[in-house]
Amino acid sequence: MVIAGGFGVGKTTAVGSISEIEPLTTEAAITEVAAGVDDLSLTPHKTTTTVAMDFGCITIDPTLKLYLFGTPGQERFGFMWDDIVEGAVGGLVIVDTRRLDDCYAAVDYFEHKRIPFAVAANAFDGKVEHTLDEVRWALDVADHVPVVVFDARETGSVRDALLVVLELALARTEA
Amino acid sequence: MADGSIPPGSDPVGPAPAVRPFLVTAGRVAAGPSGRTMPVETQVVATVEGLGALDGLSFEQHDIVAACRRPQSIAELAARLRLHLNVVRVLAEDLREEGRLTVHVPDADATHDASVLRRLIDGLRAIPDSGKVLRDNGDNG
Repeated sequence: MVIAGGFGVGKTTAVGSISEIEPLTTEAAITEVAAGVDDLSLTPHKTTTTVAMDFGCITIDPTLKLYLFGTPGQERFGFMWDDIVEGAVGGLVIVDTRRLDDCYAAVDYFEHKRIPFAVAANAFDGKVEHTLDEVRWALDVADHVPVVVFDARETGSVRDALLVVLELALARTEA
Repeated sequence: MADGSIPPGSDPVGPAPAVRPFLVTAGRVAAGPSGRTMPVETQVVATVEGLGALDGLSFEQHDIVAACRRPQSIAELAARLRLHLNVVRVLAEDLREEGRLTVHVPDADATHDASVLRRLIDGLRAIPDSGKVLRDNGDNG
């Protein structure tokens, strides 16, 4: 399952609350072509950047593991999402209601890819800034996308958010 | 260790410099035999032959085979051994061709399989609300 969301919304915390392994970070080296701002000739040059992706694992039974992969926080690495999302059972877009803007890209992406996903508003300090209806309206998510509140620090809460996505995925296969 | 090998599960010394990944893979990038990149959750496990040949392997090949005494994803391997993901993809493919590793590419259809989804749902429901989550830090090798 893909765990998406902007920087600092609680992806690592959520993964850590439920993963059997300490959240690990894997790094993918990618080559970026960037125009050098400090380069007087403004010629494009290549740089190698390391993108970190957090992940965790839940062993369901001896033959089934559920991996949770956090997408890179920075939006400019959105092109990498195809690689992570291919083969994913679904996605969870974590939202900080104080900064709703940060997750538009993730919501658009999952809707475009038609992957089962849910939006989960992380309750920082035990509360969220807006009602769920306001969140839904602000993010302009389709009606069939579940929007829930959860606490990334609580195992049970993260579990329930993941279950919302899985149940949606199951409903789709049986539709 | 005196023979230069690194005990499984221990951390390598420091982060590798940026140029090193391309030297390790002799400049190759990561296309698998089908042309598709190995997904990050692909499971790898050492073969009996691979474990038997450990003493003859060095550096990253050695570390990968040793770490794969128990099955894990290439993402876990990359994180634990502090290697770049694409380096692990290329080396895992090399080791697979040499018979030292088995590589299990995940079944993409499984994510749309209702019985798999039900098993996931049942398994998650069984996780209790709170308390300690069992941590496996890979010390078991």
